[in-house]
Amino acid sequence: MKNPKRQPDAARRAKLTIQRRTLALLLVFGVVSFAALFAKAYDLTINQSDDLQKRAAAQQTRSTSISASRGTIYDRSGNIMAISATADTVFLDPNAIESRARELERKRAEKMVEGLKEGEVLPMTGEAYKDLIATELSRILEMDEETIRTRMGKTQSQYEILKKRVEKEVGDQIRSFITDNATGESIRGVHLQVDAKRYYPYSSVAAHVLGFLNSDNQGAYGLEAIYNEELEGDTGLVVTAKDANGGELMFQYEQYYDAEDGHSLELTIDRYIQYRVEQGLEDMVARFGAKNGATGIVMDVNTGGLLAIASSPTYDLMDHHAIYDEALQAELAKTEEENPPAPGETRSEAYTNKLGELQLRQWRNKAVNDTYEPGSTAKILTLSMALEEGSVNRNSTFNCSGSITVADYDIGCSNKAGHGHQTLIEAVGHSCNPAFVNIGLSVGTDRFYDYMEAFGLMEPTGVDLQGDVGGIFAARERFTTLDLACYAFGQNYNITPLQIITAQAACINGGYLRQPYVVEKELDGDGNVVKQHDSTPIRQVISEETSAQVREMLEYVVAEGTGKNGQVAGYRVGGKTGTADKSGTKDPITNPQGDIVVSFLCFAPADDPQIIMLLTLDTPRRDTGTYPSGGNMVAPTASAIMADILPRLGIAPQYTEDQLSDVEATVPYVVGEDETSAAAKLAEYGFANYRTVGEGAEVTDQTPAGGAIVPANAEIILYMGEEKSTELAVVPNVVGMTPAEVNRALVNAGLILKSTGAAGESGVKAISQSLPPDTQTAQGTVVTVQMGQTSTTAD
Amino acid sequence: MTREEQRRRKRELIREQRRREREAWEAARGPLDLPFLLLALLLLAIGLIMLLSASFPSAQASRGANYDPLYYFKRQGMFAAIGVLAMLWVGKINYLRFRGAAKIAMSVSVALLVLVLIPGVGITRNNATRWLGIPGMAVGQFQPSEVAKLGIILFFGDSIARRREKMGTFREGFLPHFLLLCLTAGLTAIEPHFSGALLIFGIGAAMMVVGGIDWRWIAAGAAGLGGGGYMLLFTDLMEKIGYNAARITVWRDPFGGDLEFQRSKAWQVIQSLITIGSGGLLGVGLGKSRQKFMFLPEEHNDFIFAIVFEELGLVGATLIMVLFALLIIRGYWIAIHAGDRFGSLVAVGVTTQIALQAFLNIAVVTNLLPATGISLPFFSYGGTALAIQLVEIGLVLSVSRQMPAPKAG
Repeated sequence: MKNPKRQPDAARRAKLTIQRRTLALLLVFGVVSFAALFAKAYDLTINQSDDLQKRAAAQQTRSTSISASRGTIYDRSGNIMAISATADTVFLDPNAIESRARELERKRAEKMVEGLKEGEVLPMTGEAYKDLIATELSRILEMDEETIRTRMGKTQSQYEILKKRVEKEVGDQIRSFITDNATGESIRGVHLQVDAKRYYPYSSVAAHVLGFLNSDNQGAYGLEAIYNEELEGDTGLVVTAKDANGGELMFQYEQYYDAEDGHSLELTIDRYIQYRVEQGLEDMVARFGAKNGATGIVMDVNTGGLLAIASSPTYDLMDHHAIYDEALQAELAKTEEENPPAPGETRSEAYTNKLGELQLRQWRNKAVNDTYEPGSTAKILTLSMALEEGSVNRNSTFNCSGSITVADYDIGCSNKAGHGHQTLIEAVGHSCNPAFVNIGLSVGTDRFYDYMEAFGLMEPTGVDLQGDVGGIFAARERFTTLDLACYAFGQNYNITPLQIITAQAACINGGYLRQPYVVEKELDGDGNVVKQHDSTPIRQVISEETSAQVREMLEYVVAEGTGKNGQVAGYRVGGKTGTADKSGTKDPITNPQGDIVVSFLCFAPADDPQIIMLLTLDTPRRDTGTYPSGGNMVAPTASAIMADILPRLGIAPQYTEDQLSDVEATVPYVVGEDETSAAAKLAEYGFANYRTVGEGAEVTDQTPAGGAIVPANAEIILYMGEEKSTELAVVPNVVGMTPAEVNRALVNAGLILKSTGAAGESGVKAISQSLPPDTQTAQGTVVTVQMGQTSTTAD
Repeated sequence: MTREEQRRRKRELIREQRRREREAWEAARGPLDLPFLLLALLLLAIGLIMLLSASFPSAQASRGANYDPLYYFKRQGMFAAIGVLAMLWVGKINYLRFRGAAKIAMSVSVALLVLVLIPGVGITRNNATRWLGIPGMAVGQFQPSEVAKLGIILFFGDSIARRREKMGTFREGFLPHFLLLCLTAGLTAIEPHFSGALLIFGIGAAMMVVGGIDWRWIAAGAAGLGGGGYMLLFTDLMEKIGYNAARITVWRDPFGGDLEFQRSKAWQVIQSLITIGSGGLLGVGLGKSRQKFMFLPEEHNDFIFAIVFEELGLVGATLIMVLFALLIIRGYWIAIHAGDRFGSLVAVGVTTQIALQAFLNIAVVTNLLPATGISLPFFSYGGTALAIQLVEIGLVLSVSRQMPAPKAG
């Protein structure tokens, strides 16, 4: 208080006021206001953060996610079975179109007021702008103009898909329309989104294995579905900025989150073998009117890898909604005819239902999804276990009187008269039911059941295909002697074709049960192997020695028994026929004999098996002229398939003297030479037969032409100065003829015979011919004729 | 005493006072207040970095910026450099020298505010005539309202300091300042530039309050502010008198309207909220904002702080808010400890300006208050404004040098 420099009171008070009130401001502006801001900020960044982040993601990633390139599926030789290629999805931004149209109107109005400068053009009207887009897109996309206008009218929307996955060329047309058009500026509001389209180069081949994608490019069926995650890869993201009006910016910020390409699959399937089997099934189904289709499996006996797995009816992978099979198409057409659509509708309900039913049917992988009673091909299993158990051996003998009684039930043999006294190998060759009932009984119910389990029949095979199901069997505690008797020849239980071929492969490959599979390798984007299938056997069911005996007996079936039609020239083939009754299909009036499934199992070479094949044909007609049995209906097709696919697998044929005549050779070019040297040259190439036409000194022409590949027993015609006949040869109908008759008929017609199948057997006849009767073709054309037995011998 | 004597005596008194004052300045000259200086420089540095981050996408996309991503950053950096030099220079000059220029500064401010309103002189953008300068030349344009803030601070400081206890009266204290404030703010408001007017009014009012006007006027002002604010925000009064109250509707519920509403009227606020919410607690990382890519308008101007939230999160943004709070507290602390009333009042004026702008800007960005265009000091793009802010900081620093040395004990 004694401060000498004391300020006047008024000044001191004023200063005090300033200090007090400044302190108040300090509290308000330095503390309270920031506390309020913090509270609000906390609410936004913590409490509302999730909601706001969702909104952020929604606007920032709109139409900007890009799918990773989907992996390719290759067959075992690297042929592409399924591949993705870039395609464009076309969409409209009606909101941007609308605002652009308004902008044009405004500019037009301004220009009209200002007047045009030299060289300037009046902007088009908004309506004209919309018209331009509608007409051009309608033309390029081949879409209804009205539809486009409707979509364009949804001006609140920014994303209206017009067409999904158009081809690259169509996309390019739209691109050039956007940049180069009558407005003189880029079209705003028409966009392309890069997308992927799946291509299946072999359209229907392996359809059930490969499967297809749904409209969102997600695997819906088959390997595409099972391996969807691996094939798909990781979707990438591009953050792209758009302004508030959805218009394009001069500058587009893009931040990439790299897409990781999907893995590729390398299959065990062989494109050609698969195709050949499918063709064989289609042919059989058509020829014998099989009501419930057919299946075909080719397996590598030493790995379990499936070279082919086919089912009929099948479908086209490039258009999986369309009904592919002609018989099914006819069925659908009939439904459509009988159920015309109600007025104002395009399809009747019955039609839609039928379509759905047929689609499901053609997509069904019968070889894996459906069980059947295998019939006599299952005798291989009974034989294997009895030999392994030692309850029978090659010296065992069996008597067949035509039937056998087990637990008061009579079980008949296919040969009503009975096979009489027979050795084991003969019983197998005859496919004798009473003998196999005895073989089965010798094993005993418990051990028999054990083997059925050991062969993997009680559970699904574990194959990497969809809908892999297990067999249907009597429970172990209720497994009676009568059951055993029926099981012994393949009746009264149900399994899938894949299950039984897997078990049969074990019977002939030395006893090793292996899991069947179709995906050999999984490769990453750079081609590195990520996963490789392990073919280690699950277990050994029978011994190597037993397996060798089984092979020997099955080779006998084809050489001497019911499977003669399965013979393949140049190869040792083992096999077993099967004709199974379908339980519950007999009807005393409409179907007194009941439905059957006929099948044929074969493998080659018989002494060192590499592949095994099972074909089944479900419910063939009985009135086709061919006695309904596996040996008659299925074995010839199996033989033809084997003859085509074995050389492709690098298994060379070894011909006997007899068969050598049927071996094919290349015709040498002998035009210009005299008869002696021409004959010598022909002989050198393996052609012993020739005849001359005309009297000239040297050969002026020849049939077949040089370079043609024909059977070596064919007769070569040498024209010595005479004009070669230009008349076309007419193919005769040779089905039903003996081999000699066939040869004569074809030679007379100027054609060359190549016979396949059981050509050397007595009593064989032509079963089918490669060119239909009355076909006109060049002289010297080779006609392949399948020989075989169509006798009443049952399996 | 004769008139002659009286006059002579008065002159002597004035001369004596001047001499004493000059001695006093020289005697009390201390160092610059380091905390205030460092806080200002720190905020300036962070502000520049954030401006670079926020502005480069739009710079790259803008013809006006020559598609140069560094365009805004470079210009702002240049003004910042000039501003810092000016700040240090002003800090060295005794602020009392500016006291003599107070009347001139006020007159020039009013003259410029009138000049900008004359058709053909002011530069119009977005239907608002707020800028003076050579048309077409980007450099050298400025807002008279920015100058007016400085004018008000200097003039009110001088005038209020001189009136001492007379500030408590109506005729000499309240009325003249109130009228001058109404004139200045009014001229700004009809540009139109409501946020500028609001700031000028706020700065002047704060100085009047501190300067010692009767508490009843303070109470009346607070009541008017509270009542007016309530009527504006929480009643439909504005709609009734036909004013376009879309901003209020948006403020109440930004996501409430239909798509059209969200895409037009509420767009700015919605985008700001999305930007802030995207940051969460820790942010997406410096430079990694996605919203700055054309989603958030005004991302390098008034809404730059939303980008701060997105990139640095609640933590980073709070840290920056704390820096602002510390700067403001230090500014008022300098005002409290200033050597004289003029110094106190100038420091209060400058600090209040920064405080009001920071609070209102962040409040608008977070939708605590309805949208209005107020820039954030040190952060928002705008060269002249930044330079003037730094000069004002220099004024406060100058005031800080004249603080009496703290007494020992």
